[in-house]
Amino acid sequence: MKLYMENLIKEFEGRRVLDIRELLIESGALCGIIGPNGAGKSTLLNLIAGLMKPTDGSLLYGEEETAVAPFREMTMVFQAPYLIRTTVDKNIAYPLKLRGWGNAQIEERVGELAEELGLTDFRKQKSWKLSGGETQKVALARALSFRPKLLLLDEPTANVDPATTAEIERMLRKINEKEGTTVILITHNLVQAKRVCREVLFMNQGKVVEFGAAERVLRDPEQELTKRFVDGELFT
Amino acid sequence: MEQIAIAFQAAIELLVTGDTALYEIVGLSLMVSLSSVVLSACLGVPCGALIGTHSFALKNALLRVIYTLMSLPPVIAGLVVFLLIMRRGPLGAWGITYTPAAMIIAQVCLVTPIITGLTYNIVRDRAPKVKALAATMGAGRLDALKLLIFELRIGILAAIVTGLGRALSEVGAVMIVGGNIKGKTRVMTTYIAQLKSMGDYSTAIAVGIVLLILAFLINTFLYNVQQKVEK
Repeated sequence: MKLYMENLIKEFEGRRVLDIRELLIESGALCGIIGPNGAGKSTLLNLIAGLMKPTDGSLLYGEEETAVAPFREMTMVFQAPYLIRTTVDKNIAYPLKLRGWGNAQIEERVGELAEELGLTDFRKQKSWKLSGGETQKVALARALSFRPKLLLLDEPTANVDPATTAEIERMLRKINEKEGTTVILITHNLVQAKRVCREVLFMNQGKVVEFGAAERVLRDPEQELTKRFVDGELFT
Repeated sequence: MEQIAIAFQAAIELLVTGDTALYEIVGLSLMVSLSSVVLSACLGVPCGALIGTHSFALKNALLRVIYTLMSLPPVIAGLVVFLLIMRRGPLGAWGITYTPAAMIIAQVCLVTPIITGLTYNIVRDRAPKVKALAATMGAGRLDALKLLIFELRIGILAAIVTGLGRALSEVGAVMIVGGNIKGKTRVMTTYIAQLKSMGDYSTAIAVGIVLLILAFLINTFLYNVQQKVEK
């Protein structure tokens, strides 16, 4: 799903936290958002997810460039995801039930995702008995269940072990390549950004500083700020 | 101490042999308390949920009023309701003074703020996450509300049971608006107060035991529901 933003502004109590002049994220992108704390990364993601309303400007979705957030075609995975207080199976099935899928279809899709993410043994487990890594995998499986056109992730691997991180990264690359899902991922891990993303967006103080191919932005940035951040100097 | 033991033994006998008047009082107590809690839940749960999920002007002031009413002394609630429904009062035409209906209204005034306040606290803490989940899953307003109620069911049930506990144990308001009339408005708590002043301790203890058993059964029910959900 293509995203186009123009003069997108978000203010909290008069303080401008996001100010994007123009930004186009093409359909099928696998884009990482990097930047120091307070750069506006999460605000941008929340605006795209429709969880916040912009103070001004336009945010358009898809080829039709509609201004209404297509909630049924996109989803978001949080750093500390909220699982419904029920079984893993029912959590993964939740968006499918909302979309009126039949029981047989749901069973098939849930089984497929559980196997893919190594959750088969946990399917009947209650959500509050899962570890952090398992919780994150269930949240990802739930998000992917209805094959969204746009997947937003806010530091999904910040609190999980390397094996789970690798599994999540593999899954993101797979759905992006095979299903053409546009993936936008906030990460503080530059190695991960290089490993997973094709494009990288560097933000600082609510503005887009640099956006381009991950390889180029992370290895040979055009902007001095980006260079300082990549070199580990800019942490404000 | 010996007198208490004798009274306790007499109370058990009274319960086992089955005193019709006693069971009528228990029945009326349950009817009044359950009716008031059902009405209070119908008012308090949606109000608490709305206040917890919305921002509006004077919200903080409203919350302070609700918290104050949560600890409203029953005699004040009873007095206000009595002044409203007495023959010369604004609702005097209803003719419900010294009836179970008046007792239910007084208890609704006491229990509704408790259920509203407790529901608000539960919703305020967890609703943002549940709402965000519902939105990111593509749920509509109705589905989001269903999910919110499902997720908060134990807390809401606990709020209702707390309200029921207040209704069952309340004496001041029902005494003022009901009048403790035998066979008409006499409930367990007002009966205990009367029996104490008459020096009939064994019957007072018997009624007290019934009250405790009811409280135990209510808490057992809640505990079982919680266990079932948590398993």
